[in-house]
Amino acid sequence: MPTPTLTQTLVIALIQAILVVIFIFVIVPLTIYAERKVLGHIQLRLGATRIAGTHTGLTGLVNRSMWKLGKVPVLAYWRGIPMLVGDILKMILKEDVRPTKADRFVFFLAPSLSFVAAVMAFAAVSFVPGTFFTFPKWVPLVGGLPLSGGMADVNVGLLWILGIASVGVYGIVLAGWASNSKYPLLGSLRSGAQIVSYEVPLTLSLLAPVLMSGSLQFSHMATTMATGLPFWGIVPQMLGFLVYFTCGFAETNRLPFDMPEAENELVAGFHTEYSGMKFGFFYLGEYINMAVVSALAAGFFLGGPWLLPFGLQGLVNPYLPAWLGQPCALFFVVKIVLLLFVFIWVRGTIPRYRYDQIMAVAWKYLIPLALVNLLLAAMVRYLAV
Amino acid sequence: MESLLLKIGQNLFLIFAVMALAGAAVMVFARNAVHSVIGFLFAMLSVAGCYLSLGAEFMGVAQLLIYAGGIVVLFLFVVMLVELSKAREARRFQGQTPFALLLVGAGLVAFVGIFWQTIFGASATEPLTLSQNLVSHGETLGNAQMVSRGLFAEYLLPFEILSVILLVALVGAVVLAKAERV
Repeated sequence: MPTPTLTQTLVIALIQAILVVIFIFVIVPLTIYAERKVLGHIQLRLGATRIAGTHTGLTGLVNRSMWKLGKVPVLAYWRGIPMLVGDILKMILKEDVRPTKADRFVFFLAPSLSFVAAVMAFAAVSFVPGTFFTFPKWVPLVGGLPLSGGMADVNVGLLWILGIASVGVYGIVLAGWASNSKYPLLGSLRSGAQIVSYEVPLTLSLLAPVLMSGSLQFSHMATTMATGLPFWGIVPQMLGFLVYFTCGFAETNRLPFDMPEAENELVAGFHTEYSGMKFGFFYLGEYINMAVVSALAAGFFLGGPWLLPFGLQGLVNPYLPAWLGQPCALFFVVKIVLLLFVFIWVRGTIPRYRYDQIMAVAWKYLIPLALVNLLLAAMVRYLAV
Repeated sequence: MESLLLKIGQNLFLIFAVMALAGAAVMVFARNAVHSVIGFLFAMLSVAGCYLSLGAEFMGVAQLLIYAGGIVVLFLFVVMLVELSKAREARRFQGQTPFALLLVGAGLVAFVGIFWQTIFGASATEPLTLSQNLVSHGETLGNAQMVSRGLFAEYLLPFEILSVILLVALVGAVVLAKAERV
């Protein structure tokens, strides 16, 4: 295998970045669409249906005859799809209002910070360990070279993700301050305090995979957690997964921890004064953060690119057919999608906590649980070696 | 193309250093305290880039996690909650100017001396190497593993003493805040 030159390395990195961005921008609008549909069905509605004509044309004929038969039309389930385009067009084309007393520079900086931080966290996520695919010979400049499964699968990948995620807090806090208005300031302080508090149990619960795998590299951790553990490795992983995922809900400001959007108390929290694409960046940032949280949970607890979660892959590997024993990026994506569905499912099921309850959950329950989990992980590590 | 990229890669440290200095300048000269904090954040992120360009990836990411992600957030909270316009009107720093100038002059002399020694002195010709007992374990270790081996095996006692000092500072802050409230 030839060693790539600097230009080739950069071109490959660029291709990887483009692939990841395409992945993000495919999965995020679909999540938004799925959220409308799933929430609708949880509440015994159809969700988004009203974009195409309901009673005219060929689709209208199908619909009308199905209503006559006493059935909900099949097409009604899918008709909300053009709404995706409508949503995006609305965000881009809407008038961009800036309050007169707002701090111009910070008001512009805040949404971009929160969006960029969310996207940059994906750099250290490895979709499949080792090579994802090799470029064919006929490709100019990079023919015959491998494209690895992670953009920057560095030695300190987990720390990078946590660090970049903590930079994302600035987006929320600065947005509230720059709006120069009471509700956004209160909302941003509240959600800033919430995110800073929940970072503690989140990091503690992620220390268990670090302890059990002895590494901070994403692909190495995913490999060890999926295949390299003895039987009782499952126990701390279950607990750690629940603690981590709960903190993930709080970190991404989703229900039941969506303090910024407690509209009966604070209008819309930190993004009250934002409109148009600036609001869109906050909106997209939230969904990308959900994807990052899901990717970490899928990678460390649900077996990453392997089939079976919680270290079971290492136990039953000899009994699996050969093609199921191999890592595959598709499994990883399927797990991310499944966890995104759980995000929506919980939103439709559990009501919002009060603010003091949120803080109590973080400091009184989740941190002790995360410490117990860490102790269990240490015991597994001790018994395994 | 190749040579240009190589040149940029070799000078990455300089680029990040200039960015850090620019951030620090914004921090000092900005009128608005929140703008100062943003300049500080930019400087901290650039310093993290400096560490990364020197191959100290653990230091770089720890800088990102602790300074950019933790400490500057606290700065921002304090600056946002404290009304600073009245403090500016009071002009309470007037009497300190000569002392401040004196201290800055002394610090400048010391730093220029150190830089002079590192760039033109004897240590400039021989490269810095890691302590032998950190690298002589046979295997090639990652950055984080080497740092942790240094902290938790070779220099455990100083490290623990440092953490106790930090704990004392924490408890002291709590005690001071409590006394004020009563």
